[in-house]
Order: sequence, then structure tokens, then C-alpha cells
Amino acid sequence: MIEVDNLHKTFKTKTGTIRAVDGVSFVAKDGEITGLLGPNGAGKTTTLRMLYTLMKPDQGAVRVDGIDVAVDPTGVRRRLAVLPDARGVYKRLTARENIAYFGELHGLDAAAIAQRTAKLADALDMAEILDRKTEGFSQGQRTKTAIARALVHDPRNVMLDEPTNGLDVMTTRGMRRFLGRLREEGHCVLFSSHIMQEVAALCDRIVVIAKGRVVAAGSADELRAQTGEPNLEDAFVKAIGTEEGLSA
Amino acid sequence: MNTLVTVFRKELIDALRDRRTVVIALLLGPLLFPILFMGLGSFAAKKQSEKFEKALEIPIVGAEHAPNLVRWLEGEGVIVRPPPADTDRAVREQEHAVILSIPASFPEQWRKSEPARIELVLDSSRALESGAVVARVERLMAMYDREVGTLRLVARGVHPALASPLAVARRDLATPESKASLQVMMMPYLLILLGFMGGMHLAIDTTAGERERQSLEPLLATPVSRTAIMSGKLAATVTFALLSLVLTFVTFKLSTLFGTDSKMSFDLPTATAALTFLVVLPVVLFGSALLTMLAAFSKSYREAQSYLSLMFLIPMIPTMLLMVNPVKTQLWMLAVPFLGQNQMITKLLRGEATTAVEWSVVLGGGLLLAALFWAIAARLYHREQLAISA
Repeated sequence: MIEVDNLHKTFKTKTGTIRAVDGVSFVAKDGEITGLLGPNGAGKTTTLRMLYTLMKPDQGAVRVDGIDVAVDPTGVRRRLAVLPDARGVYKRLTARENIAYFGELHGLDAAAIAQRTAKLADALDMAEILDRKTEGFSQGQRTKTAIARALVHDPRNVMLDEPTNGLDVMTTRGMRRFLGRLREEGHCVLFSSHIMQEVAALCDRIVVIAKGRVVAAGSADELRAQTGEPNLEDAFVKAIGTEEGLSA
Repeated sequence: MNTLVTVFRKELIDALRDRRTVVIALLLGPLLFPILFMGLGSFAAKKQSEKFEKALEIPIVGAEHAPNLVRWLEGEGVIVRPPPADTDRAVREQEHAVILSIPASFPEQWRKSEPARIELVLDSSRALESGAVVARVERLMAMYDREVGTLRLVARGVHPALASPLAVARRDLATPESKASLQVMMMPYLLILLGFMGGMHLAIDTTAGERERQSLEPLLATPVSRTAIMSGKLAATVTFALLSLVLTFVTFKLSTLFGTDSKMSFDLPTATAALTFLVVLPVVLFGSALLTMLAAFSKSYREAQSYLSLMFLIPMIPTMLLMVNPVKTQLWMLAVPFLGQNQMITKLLRGEATTAVEWSVVLGGGLLLAALFWAIAARLYHREQLAISA
């Protein structure tokens, strides 16, 4: 379970300070898929980066399975699988070596790594690319490798930044099935997206973010009720206040 | 510790699969340097012996004023050439290293037994090209001077030894090692540079490169300590630098076996090589730590490369200073990075004795610096900006 309470983060640039995240709160429960929906630049990636302890919030708290990121960031990272916006797989290593490297960093032994690799390769339908160097992989193959690498230690909480970005239709469908399986296994899945259909099709709970703030939250039905719009797309647009930066 | 080993192993595998890195670090450096170095040495030796042994060709202005001198010179094997139209220009443009000019007053002064004036036209700023030739001509003139002087004294019934109150002889203490001066001067610099920069490619690739390829963010999202990650990368960098250094020593050693020219040949006994390696070891450590630190500071591969290329200049500074102003080694100098190693290697190559105190200063100073750079690099790795690419 991931609890986020009133997060703030500002960046100083040459042109002034930018309030990237300006008071974000939500809860992502185990056995549910929670979607962070917002236009590009809404603060989704920055929020996630604070959740996986890469950035320190200026204000606010994050708890993962009850552990405060400010108190025990290492303990939090142990309970997280993270797919960052930048996939960053190692080109000169094979997919299997990429996965094994992270397994070793998580302290797993060779047998456990082999077992997890086989299981994830099956779930992600990537068995035939396991022993190829990732240089020359398609976007989808890279994403699969990065997800398998992130999940090698089988953590309860899974965070994915735009997991279907740049994937073709078939791979996207496979990815949705995979996330569904994680939910059935009782994981807490949190992902960000700027694609409305994606979020609507997958999520139990939707957190709509715009300009660094949560502007609406709840299930699809609740969002329709909150905005008084019978059409989910219109509900999103109304919540965000503009159509800019969203894709259907 | 486990993390360190894991990161170290992954970085080594990663680097060894990059053919460019392997070729540059492990083949090009260790092969190119000794070949260049030895080749240059034997080329210089050849040039030098050419200057000393080739027949002298001297243009003489006013040869008709001193036919005896000209004949004597020809007797000594000098080929006398007619003078060029503009002597000064010919020397300035180094068409001739030196031109002998005999003025019209020469026969008159000679007859009166006054010192007869002759001129050597030369350009002393061209010492490198023409110095040896000028010295040979000067030596010939001095010989003629003494010969004629002796004859004059004998003709007047004076014992010629009276005119030589001193008999100066030279006892040269230079060892065969210290005589190979070009090598002794260049070798410390080359070894220090190789030790210092040998890990450059890996330092950039594992830090700035990883950042640019955006794989640092997922790596830092794992529960391992950032200091351990940095140390593992540093260990891989050090290993590569050491490997390249060891290969260089081996090729140096091999090249001395093939060196045939006795005058400039340069022997590197295995014991000296081992001690020299020990001196360079701290350079490898603080060099790799410094490069890792700088690479952690830069945003991209290219930025890191431009910083690190500047680093090539730093080890040059003490070598340059010593070339311009050779000083006697003081103990404190051994603690100064690069200068200390330079002095110590020079001592070893010259076959001089070294003390335990000197060793502890030169090694301790280097290790302390390595620890300092490591600590700064570790701090840089904890910065929030590190993982955030673009």
C-alpha cells in the first residue's frame, strides 16, 4: 500500500521557480490498480520520483507499507518495483543479464534469479528474446526487459511511469493483461499515463493530476458523478479544465 | 561489499564488450607509447651520430686569405665549399649550420704573429639543429690554434708545455642508466600519464555515460547504497587502468630487448620496473577517483570528455617545471602529486638509492589524495540531480 500525503516539490530554474508538485495526496491500495492521469507536465513523473525516493519532497510524507520514505528510504526501495520514465536497459548486456544484475543488487541468489526470470519471461511473453543483447530491441522489448528487471525481487508494490508509452496495440494489450495479473496476485499497482482510454480500461481508482495538484479522484463511476458528465472523457476534460496534453 | 562486487563485475563485462574501449585502453595505449618512445629514441640517436660522424661541409668566405688553414682543414677531412652569396641569410635559414669567414686582414696579422681574426657565422638559437656541427668546427679551430702555437714556441726554443699550466681531465660519474637522458626525462611523465588517464574511458562511461543512457535512475531505485555503487564503478575503472599500465610495462620491457643501438639503448630491469609500478599505483587510484568525481559532476558523456581531456595537462606541469628548472629533490616534493612520483621514478631509473621515508611520503601522499577524491565522489553520488537525466 502506498500513502501519499500533501506532497510539494519546487524546482529552481533560470527563469524562476516552478511548482512541479503542489499538494498531491492519494492512497494506492493492495490488490488494486491506481492510475495517475494528467496531461504532459502535470507533475506525474516528479510525484513518482518522490515515491521511489529519488527526490526528496520539500513538504509532505510518503509511506509504503507503512514505512516512511524520509525515515527508511532503503526499506522502501526494497518493497518497490520501479519502471522509470527512462527505461535505461544496458545495451551491451542480454535481457537475462539485465534482469540478473538487478537480482544480485537486491541480494537474490542465482537459483532465485533463474526462477524469477523464467516466471517473468513467461508472464511478459519474452522468452525468445531473453538471451539477446538489448541493443537493437524494439521499444516494447526494452519495456518488457525493464519491467522484468524491476520486478525480479517480487515486491508487493509496483510503480510504472507511462508503461505503454510507444508500444504497439498488441504489446499494449499484453501489458494490460500483465498488470491485471499483478492485481490478482494482490500487488499494489500504481501507474501514470496521459492516455484516458488506458486509465479507464485498467484502473480501479483514478487520480487526476493537473498543474501539480490533484483535481479529482475516485473510480470511473465516481468521477462521472463528481463532474456531472455521463461521458468519462468529458469528465476528465472538465476535471482538468483544458484538453491540452491529453490523448484519447 | 556484495554490491560493490556485483557492480564491479557488471561494469567490467560491459566495458569488455565495447570493442572501442578495449582497443583504446588495452591495445592502443600500451602499444603506441613504447613504440613511439623507443622509435623516437633510436631516431634521435641516429640523427645524433650522423651529426658527429658525417663529413663536415663548410663554406669558407675569403679562403684565398688563409690557404694553409684551408689545406689543414681539408687534411682533417673537411669538405670546403664555395660561400653562398648572402652568408647571413644562408645561416639564418639553416642552409648551412656554420660558415667560416676569413677577413682580408688575416695574412697581415698572421705575418706579424698577432692573433689573426676569423669569424664563425652561426645562429646559436638553432642549437638543436646545428649545435653539434658548430661544436665540431670550433674544436677543429682550437686544434689548429694549438698546433700552430706549439710550433711557434718550439721555433723560438721555448718548451710548449710551459704554455699549458693545467692538464684538465674528466671523470664521469654518470651511470649507464642515467646516461639515457631522453628516456629518463620522458619515462616518468609517460607512466604517470598512463596511470592517471588509463581509466578515463571507463570513468566516463560508467558514470556520465550511464547517466546519459538514463540507466542510472533505475539503478539508484534499487535498495543498494550509492557509495557502494560508486565504489564498484571506481574499482572497475582502477582495474582497467592497471591492466593498461601492466601491458605498457610489458611492452616497454619487450622493446628494450629489441633495442640494439648501444649508445641510446635503455634497459629496464625487472626489479626497477616493479618498484616503478609501485610508485605509479597511487596515481592510478587517485587518478581514477578524480576522473570518477569529475564524471559524476558532468551531465553528459561529451561534457565529461571535455573536462577529462583537460586533465591530460596536469601531469605535464611538474615535468615541464623540472625540464626548465631541474632541482634537487626535497622530501616535501615527494608528497606533491605528480611531482613526487616524477622525482621518485627519475631516481629509480637513474639507479639512485631510495629510503623508506621517501617511500612512505610518496605512497602515503598519493593514497591520501585518492581517499579524498573518493569521498568527494561519494558525496556527489548522493546529490539529487545525479539520477535525473535531461
